[in-house]
Amino acid sequence: MARSVWKGPFVDGYLLKKAEEARATGRKDIIRTWSRRSTILPQFVGLTFGVYNGRKFLPVLVNENMVGHKFGEFSPTRVFHGHAGDKRARRG
Amino acid sequence: MARAKRRPRAEAAPAAAAAPGEAAARRAETVCLGRIVGAHGVRGVVRIKSHTANPDDLTAYGALSDEAGTRRLTVTVTGHVKGLVLARVEGVDDRDAAEALRGTDLFVPRAALPPTEGEEYYHVDLLGLRAESEDGTALGRVSAVHDHGAGPIVEIQPPDGPSTLVPFTREHVPAIDIEAGRMVVASPEDGT
Repeated sequence: MARSVWKGPFVDGYLLKKAEEARATGRKDIIRTWSRRSTILPQFVGLTFGVYNGRKFLPVLVNENMVGHKFGEFSPTRVFHGHAGDKRARRG
Repeated sequence: MARAKRRPRAEAAPAAAAAPGEAAARRAETVCLGRIVGAHGVRGVVRIKSHTANPDDLTAYGALSDEAGTRRLTVTVTGHVKGLVLARVEGVDDRDAAEALRGTDLFVPRAALPPTEGEEYYHVDLLGLRAESEDGTALGRVSAVHDHGAGPIVEIQPPDGPSTLVPFTREHVPAIDIEAGRMVVASPEDGT
């Protein structure tokens, strides 16, 4: 069953506080968090979070398309080593 | 129930950066696009694990060759099965000949890849780059490039100790010099 709309999206309070502090000060440091369950809010766009995957903090640069998803979705917990092939990376 | 111990998977590109001698030099000039993993049917069709972003691009960069560069393989994609590409190899007409190709890596020259635009970089070009801080301190080498849906991440492996993950942004990676084989990383300690 989906979460009731009247409750609003779930975000751990301490994470919201950290993010608001980062926005207020304009600092672009990586905000480390263990809160994989927190929903990505519109005010997080542009911030970089380090989301713990049980071993490391994976950098997650939040963009508009990620709003509404959970942080854990962008920090996989299983190892996968792919091959480079013809894959490209765009510097953001 | 005891879990079976997983065999560590070899990472083709990072190993290529570290391997010495002629083989390493050749690997730097070529890019592995796939591997023949078995035969399919009795008419010489092979199953290929494609390493390209789009599996069908396996044949988009011209003729393929084996690792030594001695055998040229003309491959035609005929279909897909269970995440693998089915293909015909010229001169291979029966299952035994197809089975004999199992384990063959398929390479193209690095020069066959089209040039990238603007801020785009091929993973093969980034792997093995020397990572340095802004004041020139050596941090290690680029061992992998990940993308889990939140932008590319560069993994930097120092000579000893755990690796560091850095977002692949202008802010965290202000300068890249592929020719010189170096990448400047700002405040890498943040990304661990």
